[in-house]
Amino acid sequence: MTGGQAAVVADELRTILVEVTGRDELRDIPVDTPLFGAGVGLDSLAGTLLLRQVKRRYGVDVAAEDLNLDALATLGTLADFLVARS
Amino acid sequence: MTERIKCVVWDIDNTLLTGVYLESGEHPPHPDPQLLGVLRELAGRGILNALASRNPPAAAEYVERVAGTDFAAIECGWGSKADAIGRIAADLSLAPDAIAFVDDDMLERAEVTAALPAVLVLTPEDAAEVPGWPQFSPPVITAEARRRGQMYAERRRRQAAAAAFGGSRDDFLRRAGTRITVAPAKMADLHRLHELSVRTHQLNSSGEPLGEDELARMLESPEYRVATVTLADDFGDDGLVGAAVMTGNGGSPAPVTPAGSPPFGPTGLAVTVPLVMMSCRALGRGALDALLAWLCRSAKASGAAELRVPCLVSDRNVPMRLALAAAGLRAEPDGVAADGRAIFARPLTGKLPGLADWVTVE
Repeated sequence: MTGGQAAVVADELRTILVEVTGRDELRDIPVDTPLFGAGVGLDSLAGTLLLRQVKRRYGVDVAAEDLNLDALATLGTLADFLVARS
Repeated sequence: MTERIKCVVWDIDNTLLTGVYLESGEHPPHPDPQLLGVLRELAGRGILNALASRNPPAAAEYVERVAGTDFAAIECGWGSKADAIGRIAADLSLAPDAIAFVDDDMLERAEVTAALPAVLVLTPEDAAEVPGWPQFSPPVITAEARRRGQMYAERRRRQAAAAAFGGSRDDFLRRAGTRITVAPAKMADLHRLHELSVRTHQLNSSGEPLGEDELARMLESPEYRVATVTLADDFGDDGLVGAAVMTGNGGSPAPVTPAGSPPFGPTGLAVTVPLVMMSCRALGRGALDALLAWLCRSAKASGAAELRVPCLVSDRNVPMRLALAAAGLRAEPDGVAADGRAIFARPLTGKLPGLADWVTVE
């Protein structure tokens, strides 16, 4: 099972989100928090910074592999996407 | 093809100054009058100036004062010049081939050439001549372009305030007194629209510049509707930062007929957006989100059932794809066509993206 791995990745992603948005309160968000809209409120700037860090940390180019960026639906979907490619 | 230079990164000692700052005691060296003239000439053409120096920040402050122009970015420190240029490029969202670097020191020039081969590396003697070079001569210089250096200086202050703020993006936009206006484009906007279509890459859906004649035709045609976005806040006024071209229901009261043969239509039931573009200055400031929300709402108001945005899929305009995804648009199942584009679409039913209260629609 990859559940444990996904939890570790989700936690690392929380740290990255805090870095790229400058918002400490994102350190504790649940895995089902939407990254766009009312959840994290990711916009093109924060989203680009997130994808850059993800590429650096996991070697996965999400934008190249996921045309619709559906991987960015929630914190959990992004963690699963990365675990599936590690 | 020769790339257009958008930013010149200057060394200080024996380049912009006629001597070495730290060796000159209480009387810092005079600026080099010829290079100072070049610096101001380039700023007047909308080309940014930046500093990369191994001096303490006081040297940059001195140069800023005596030069009398704004520097878009300042890097002072003992690290390598290539790293400093890399940070300036990231900070200003520029590709290395849009940057020129001027330094009197051969070793510094060699190091930058090796690490960043796309950067145009120049001696101070070369730099004195660049106003005559084509890559330093933009075809059109708008009022926005002339103010560009000042805007980046305003941006430096805005970013410092945002970093100290700590709340959500929207809280900061409100605190900063952000004002976004979506308005119909006018003929007077033509130069700026053309400039945006040439200069924008990260936030450009079509990936193809539009000629002024083509834009003028769109502004006059009843089959197109062109909307502009202007952006200002308490830190400064960025003017016209973005635009969208719509066709289909959005461009005329009735469904467009094939006789008009617009390049991306006609579909009748959908509004197609052949171009969305936004200056990277507006990144992170809600302007593109506002434009896309307005496009959804305006298309729906015109009776359309769907909004369609053909978007080039490249690694350069990922920020545009992020904004499309955030506004609820998804690629059609056939994915990326032979021309490198995918149609991103969304039905105009259900909950449409909202317009923030700092957005005005004219």
